[in-house]
Amino acid sequence: MIAAIWLDVLDEIARTCSAHGRGDLLQTVRQKRVQLLDPRLRVLIIGESHQGKSQLINAIINAPACPVGDGRTTVLPTVVQHAEVPSAAVVQAPLATPGRSAGGAVPVTTERIPVPLDKAAAGVAGTLGRRAGGGPAHVEIGLPRALLGTGLVLVDTPGTDEVAALGAAGPTAAPAWADTVLLVSDSTRELSAGELTMLLHLARSHPNVVVVQTKTDLVPDWRAVAERNRQHLADAGVPAPVIPVSAVLRLRAAVVDDRELNAESGFPVLIARLQRDLAGKSDRLARTAVGVVARTVVEQLAAPLRAELASQEAEEQSGPISRLHAAQREVDELRRCSMRWQNTLADEMADLLSDIEYDLRDRTRQVLRQVEEAFDEADPLVGWDAFQEWLERSLVEAAEANHEWLVQRCDWAARRVADTFARYGGDVLPPWSLATPPDLADRLPEIERPQIDRFTPSQKLITGMRGSYGGLLMVGLATTLAGMPMINPLSIGVGALFGGKSIHDESRQLLRRRQATVKTAIQRHVDDFFVRVTKERRDGARQVQRMLRDHFSALTEELQEAIIRSFRSAKQAADTDAAARDQRQREIRLKMTRLATLFEQAQQLTGGRPAPASLGPRA
Amino acid sequence: MTVGLRLDEAVWGLLNQALQLYGDDRRAVDHLRHQLARLEEPLRIAVVGPWRSGKSTLLNAIMGEEVAPVDGVDGSTVFTWYEDGPQPSATAYSTSHPPQELAIAKSATGMRVDLVGWRAGELRDIVVQWPTRTLRQVTLIDTPATGLDEQGRAPVMERVLRDADAVLYLTRDGRESDLRALETSRESAVGQAAAVNVVMVLSRVDETGGGRIDGLLTARQLARRQQRDPRVNALCVQVVPCSGLLGLAGRILSESDYAVLAGLARVARPELDPHLLSADRFVRGELPIRLDPGVRAALLDRLGLFGLRLATTLVRTGCDSRAKLSAELIRRSGLTELRESMARSLIDRRDTLKARSALAAVEALLRAEPVRGADELLGRVEQILAGAHEFRELRLLATLRTNRLGFDTELAAEAQRLVGGDGVGLAARLGVEHDATVQRLWEVAAEAQWRWRKRAEDPLLRLGQRRGAQVVVRSCEGMIAELAEGGR
Repeated sequence: MIAAIWLDVLDEIARTCSAHGRGDLLQTVRQKRVQLLDPRLRVLIIGESHQGKSQLINAIINAPACPVGDGRTTVLPTVVQHAEVPSAAVVQAPLATPGRSAGGAVPVTTERIPVPLDKAAAGVAGTLGRRAGGGPAHVEIGLPRALLGTGLVLVDTPGTDEVAALGAAGPTAAPAWADTVLLVSDSTRELSAGELTMLLHLARSHPNVVVVQTKTDLVPDWRAVAERNRQHLADAGVPAPVIPVSAVLRLRAAVVDDRELNAESGFPVLIARLQRDLAGKSDRLARTAVGVVARTVVEQLAAPLRAELASQEAEEQSGPISRLHAAQREVDELRRCSMRWQNTLADEMADLLSDIEYDLRDRTRQVLRQVEEAFDEADPLVGWDAFQEWLERSLVEAAEANHEWLVQRCDWAARRVADTFARYGGDVLPPWSLATPPDLADRLPEIERPQIDRFTPSQKLITGMRGSYGGLLMVGLATTLAGMPMINPLSIGVGALFGGKSIHDESRQLLRRRQATVKTAIQRHVDDFFVRVTKERRDGARQVQRMLRDHFSALTEELQEAIIRSFRSAKQAADTDAAARDQRQREIRLKMTRLATLFEQAQQLTGGRPAPASLGPRA
Repeated sequence: MTVGLRLDEAVWGLLNQALQLYGDDRRAVDHLRHQLARLEEPLRIAVVGPWRSGKSTLLNAIMGEEVAPVDGVDGSTVFTWYEDGPQPSATAYSTSHPPQELAIAKSATGMRVDLVGWRAGELRDIVVQWPTRTLRQVTLIDTPATGLDEQGRAPVMERVLRDADAVLYLTRDGRESDLRALETSRESAVGQAAAVNVVMVLSRVDETGGGRIDGLLTARQLARRQQRDPRVNALCVQVVPCSGLLGLAGRILSESDYAVLAGLARVARPELDPHLLSADRFVRGELPIRLDPGVRAALLDRLGLFGLRLATTLVRTGCDSRAKLSAELIRRSGLTELRESMARSLIDRRDTLKARSALAAVEALLRAEPVRGADELLGRVEQILAGAHEFRELRLLATLRTNRLGFDTELAAEAQRLVGGDGVGLAARLGVEHDATVQRLWEVAAEAQWRWRKRAEDPLLRLGQRRGAQVVVRSCEGMIAELAEGGR
């Protein structure tokens, strides 16, 4: 019961199709099942126009069933089959509605319009019996011929050189419905590129393709053409035999009843082939057909699985795993970043402090230099108030300028640190301010007026007296020698002169002393000022540094938290994804194995023929 | 007949403008110079068709000698040019080597070119110089088979449209793929506005109907039916059936061939017919008369099975000399009509077709390498196309010849004469004597214009007829304008 075996395999294929959820394939398989169980042999005749397809049918059955002409005579597919009395009809399916596939074209809904036999040609030409706007139509011609009576059904098609056009004329002319496909090509030329393409396409989906080379009567070198055609087929890898025939000779032989001429026409070979197919339909042909169906179905089912496998491999580069790697890199980067910003902050602040201090020192020095220059000449006693005011103003100005600079430098340092966070984007600068304190002047130490010795009139008097005494006495003694009294106008004059000088000297000395005192005092004052301001600056800078440090630490922590969170989720995703993929891959592998088994099973049907490279993608 | 400027002058001007535009582009300048030179050369007609459509045979039939094909280049991409020359010679041009003289072997009815040592795909062109009358006015180009490649382009057809001025498109049945190949010619503006350079040839018509004796008549009907197809009609000016094999056989039929045929014809028909049933039977069977198998094969090769049947029938029915049989074979092959149609539609309109090629070349260049000012020149191309009355005349002429418009014979003849079907001179167009005065020419032209204008505006006529009449009116106006210019 070999028949049961191929039927079992076919049913198994059908089950696999439905398991994979491919309704379309299931439909095809079911249709194939119906077709294979039909005892009749459906022979589809295709080819380019004007190759002698209709004439071939006429010659096979030895009757003018199909109209033959020089223009385009066959427009509708024509089905020639057995009937007790000659009959012809145009069969038209209703316009295909969505949801009904071609496989459902059972003759329940089709419309049959009987055509008188002598008008059959018009029917085939599509000018008679067909309703406009209807679905695909075909012509059925019944003839009481013995050859047809054995179960041969011949289907003539309109000429075409494109594979796609074959199925377009409706299910009647679709190669999938045929048991044997005859490709007709005439002997005036070798197989054309278009025909070879069509054959390649057919051979992939159809187990039983035969090339019929017609019109051998017309060409002297038809044997060479046939040989070259066989070569072309072998080169293209199409397992189709070439049968050269001459319809003219066959028809002529029938008229004159010439056995020899009939043999010359090549038709006995063709008919023997068809009869062999017919006899072996339920066995050999069916097994081959199932093999081909299995291959087609397995290929169709395996293709998406294979594609999925491939895409999964590709996904590993772009999927969760890669996101995990990215997150890892992110964590490392953040670690480096936090190190960097701390160093930057410390360096910047150290630089800043030394620079600010130097600046302040420089400014106070200038003030001092001016003070010294001023008090080299001036008397502190004169205009002290104005001077004090000037001194305070210049010190305040120095302090303010210095503070301004500090603010700028701090801002710059903050930016430098923020730059290390550039890759995290956004505004990471802290909202800080170090405004100039408005009461700077008030907080400066008051200059106390230095203790200055004034040259009082009584001191002047005493000093004058002391100076004049020496002079008076000296000149008086000298003049006593000349006999003048000790006190005389001359000695008094000299005494007054000496007194004046001493007063003058004394007052200058006093001035120097005063100036020195004032200078020292001011120096001390400026030093005080410097120390105090420096202290303030240092405090300020430290405060800024602390603030920046706090801010950026917080920022780093925030970033770290986000990055670690995304890292964790990436890791989790990668883990679950890997698991899911593993499972899916196992599933796919399992399915593939099952398909391979099915394929093996189907191939065994065809009798130990070596299976063509199992599941590998076909070129 | 463009009023103001004639088509060829306008095209000449356009080429020079383009030369100025591409002044510093060496390649473009060379290309344009080449186009200028082409205006003076003989008309180039390419014989194009799908694989095994009988291109070389038809070429031989047109030349009347067995010159094509050049051996060993079948299936490659070589264009073979046949041009007039003082003595036979063949030169090969390839992409990689300098031009090289090829050895040729003369035979009784033509010659063979030896192509030893060349690999397929290496050669680009073979130029064959052959002294014959046919090639005085035209250069014929034998092309490789057309076919669409993977990208849906037709490389051969593209090159043909570039290199040739006119096309004989061979097809066995005018099927879909042939029309598609021809439609590539309509991609440019020039191709669309002036599809006047293609003659479609239904080739190998002797094989129509499986070689039945009435096959040629059927082919003629088929050709007429095809010409009525609007899709075919839009692509070519005419459809002509022709059997190159029969035509060639007729042109080179020798006395000895005739003697053999006459011998065969003397055998009684019922006795001979079984032997003419198939080629095999004729070559291998026992003929009623003694005939060397080599001679049989040669005869079959030359005439084909159909030719044999036809020739024996013709000899039996009265063609009792080689000359008569030759003439009858040529007449039946359709070669005469093809040559007539080539002469009328293509060779007589040489200037127009040349101008058309130049226009197409300029358009292609402007589109491929746009430079500043290319748009204006493209506009100029379109302007010339729109104004070129010559193209419309050509189309009308082709329509009139097959009498598709339904004018009665007299009117059709007049229209044909007025649009230049009997000659393009003023006197020939107006049908007056050569030495007619300007006054007379003026009168006749004005009268014709008035009559045809009435016809163009007659609401009772069909649209096609009115349109045809409009073209005739325009031709008359052109003539009047020419007269006015000459009179001043």
